[in-house]
Amino acid sequence: MASSTSTRLEWIGSAIDLYQGRLIRFAARITGDVESARDVVQDTFLRLCREDVERVRDHLPAWLFRVCRNRALDVRKKEGPLQTLDDARALAREGPDADPHARLEKGDDARRVLAAIGTLPASRQEVLRLRFQEELSYKEISGVTGHSVGSVGFLIHDGIKKLRQRLSHDEPAGRPEGERPDA
Amino acid sequence: MHDERREEDLTAYALGELDGESRTAVEAILVGSADARREVEEVRATADRLREAFASVPHQALTPEQRAAVEAEAERGAEPRPKRPWSVAAALAAGVAASLVAIVVAFAPLLRSARPPVPAQFQTNAEPPITPPPVAHGVTIVPREDFEKLKALGYIDGTIYGFDETVRDPSAALNTETYDHIRDNAFVLVAQDPRSTFSVDVDTASYSIVRRYLRDGQLPPKDAVRVEELINYFPYDYEPPSGAVPFAVHMETAACPWSPDHRLVRIGLKGREVPRGERPPSNLVFLIDVSGSMDAPNKLPLVKAALRLLVEQLQPEDRVAIAVYAGAQGLALPSTPATDKAAILSAIESLSPGGSTHGSAGIRLAYETAAASYIKGGVNRVILATDGDFNVGITSPGELVRLIEAEAKSGIFLTALGFGMGNLKDATLEKLADHGNGNYAYIDRLSEARKVFVEQIGGTLVTIAKDVKLQVEFNPAQVKAFRLIGYENRVLAHQDFNDDTRDAGDIGAGHTVTALYEIVPPGVNVAVPGVDPLKYQSTAAPRPGSAPGEMLTLKLRYKQPDSDHSARLDVAVEDSGRSFEEASPDFRFAAAVAAFGMTLRDSPYKGDASLRTIQEWAQNSLGQDEEGHRAELVTLIARAQQLSPNR
Repeated sequence: MASSTSTRLEWIGSAIDLYQGRLIRFAARITGDVESARDVVQDTFLRLCREDVERVRDHLPAWLFRVCRNRALDVRKKEGPLQTLDDARALAREGPDADPHARLEKGDDARRVLAAIGTLPASRQEVLRLRFQEELSYKEISGVTGHSVGSVGFLIHDGIKKLRQRLSHDEPAGRPEGERPDA
Repeated sequence: MHDERREEDLTAYALGELDGESRTAVEAILVGSADARREVEEVRATADRLREAFASVPHQALTPEQRAAVEAEAERGAEPRPKRPWSVAAALAAGVAASLVAIVVAFAPLLRSARPPVPAQFQTNAEPPITPPPVAHGVTIVPREDFEKLKALGYIDGTIYGFDETVRDPSAALNTETYDHIRDNAFVLVAQDPRSTFSVDVDTASYSIVRRYLRDGQLPPKDAVRVEELINYFPYDYEPPSGAVPFAVHMETAACPWSPDHRLVRIGLKGREVPRGERPPSNLVFLIDVSGSMDAPNKLPLVKAALRLLVEQLQPEDRVAIAVYAGAQGLALPSTPATDKAAILSAIESLSPGGSTHGSAGIRLAYETAAASYIKGGVNRVILATDGDFNVGITSPGELVRLIEAEAKSGIFLTALGFGMGNLKDATLEKLADHGNGNYAYIDRLSEARKVFVEQIGGTLVTIAKDVKLQVEFNPAQVKAFRLIGYENRVLAHQDFNDDTRDAGDIGAGHTVTALYEIVPPGVNVAVPGVDPLKYQSTAAPRPGSAPGEMLTLKLRYKQPDSDHSARLDVAVEDSGRSFEEASPDFRFAAAVAAFGMTLRDSPYKGDASLRTIQEWAQNSLGQDEEGHRAELVTLIARAQQLSPNR
């Protein structure tokens, strides 16, 4: 299976291409800043280099997120709980090439949804992120977080339910009166 | 308590997490309960909003230093395997990532057998000592500075082929991606040739390839930049057609922003839209490359994720089959109704990489499978997912192309999806799609799969007009010279326009196709190299019946998807005399994309355009941009500016 056409270096290179952004984003939620998240993700990929490819091949995303999560939690423990980085702020204040005007144009609903997610308990936020940002399955999320699959199902269900309540709560307030005749 | 449990199951069901008995149990509940069905819908709607919201959170990348450290470790930690001595990978992993590289070819033993130790004066304390390559056969690549030192030491007496200045880092050195050379269309004097003929192109792959390079912090290779594919990546707000013609034509003229003396003409086509739910039944055969080269996280796993997205979009009367090819080809899933989603998803799940590619046998099998479950009046399509690295067996591209061309005539169309990086055979895939009445997209991440399979699924699957050709005739009274921007590999001979046996591009439902001409008005100087004035021809006088103010007439030929005979359409346009600022946002945005492409290609025709001004043009013409594609371009232009501050 370890084919000659795809060397280990290429394999790891493409794993970095595909997952670095997602892992840094995920780790930054735990460590509170992007710089230490980058270090965490570099460590994660260094661990991957030492791993037997055959062992992780079939569940690469779950493996990466689990290692990354544990490492990020270690860093947070060591460096003290920093303020967590919330997505809405990340959205407003991003990399050097981002264009705030462009983001404003499309970010309206996104901003509202992200703000609502920010009010959920951390356990719900984490599983919602793994499910809908990283597209991991319940089973993979269970592997990453150590919760049972059943608990993951509960946390996601409960997270979506609470989110729906909060979003439907502020929706009418956000619109001019009379636009939504239903109460 | 019981209700809570049931609600959790509904959520899990809505998210596609249930199978087997628990799935059947929920389906039974859904049949009897409108509340439960509504609940499932609402969970899905919330999930979509969550995905959208999360998708707007920006990504960060490792720093180049961090990445280099990981890659060095990857090579160190490699499992023992037979390695060519001093191979490219080994040479580069030996810590030479940032240096220039020389290519040396040895005919006789390249190195003297007696290898003296490297003298100390060539070693600085900061550098590891140079170890000469132990053996060398054929082409050896070493960093230039090492090369100079090795040569000075008398290690090398082979023939020097030269330095490859472009090989600067491991990923570039290992890169075997191939792009066909493109030479920008030149200005043509109307007095020499008043016509321009080309085929439409709805491919978009070049844009995602360019995006991938820029995101990785590299400028794309020039030949990977096909300007028309950049322009056509973006949806434009053209009115759809109302009559019997399957597409509408919208032309607009204004000043050319990068050459203020010139004019710019935009031709916009908009294909008829097919609303969700009215899509004809589809008979789809996925043809998946499962060869060893697909064994990378951004290849086969991404293919699977993309297919799962597509399966979600299917309607009950659709059918899906999955053929695979590698060392051997086979059917992973016989044609199966879309209602049996579980079987389709589990077949997708079970795909695993191994073997080497034998593309043509797999393609033959896919077309046979599609023919066996052909739906008359429906969509019949083979969807090929590969990195295009056909490297075993009958790989004559000509033979493949002929096979695909023959199948396209039988009504089975092709979609080519390119995946991965490093050995993507871009040119092969584009050619296959062109000859197979198809389209070609490059999937670099899940959101691109979403664009192709969710946002624009109608355009991806349903062809509304095929063999669409355009011929423009310019009026010499208004136009001294013209230049078609992009479409370099779509240019047709003038006589092919009326020849119905000549294949051309297709338009999918809701697709927009945009082409730009840069026009030099009479009285403005233009350099057209290598063309002498004609001795015997006089400038043709306008024929009676043509309005003197007309700039050009656009003639279109197209066929209905199931017809062999073309219909024709003529549209003339006069110059509006507008400035660039007065043009529509769509016009200005398309011009910005064209200028961006020309700048990346370092085209001789880019005029005054600089990345900074192009970014302003794009920024000021975002329009509605509901999906955020245009905003993304603005960030890419900014990224290109960082990489290339002088352009």
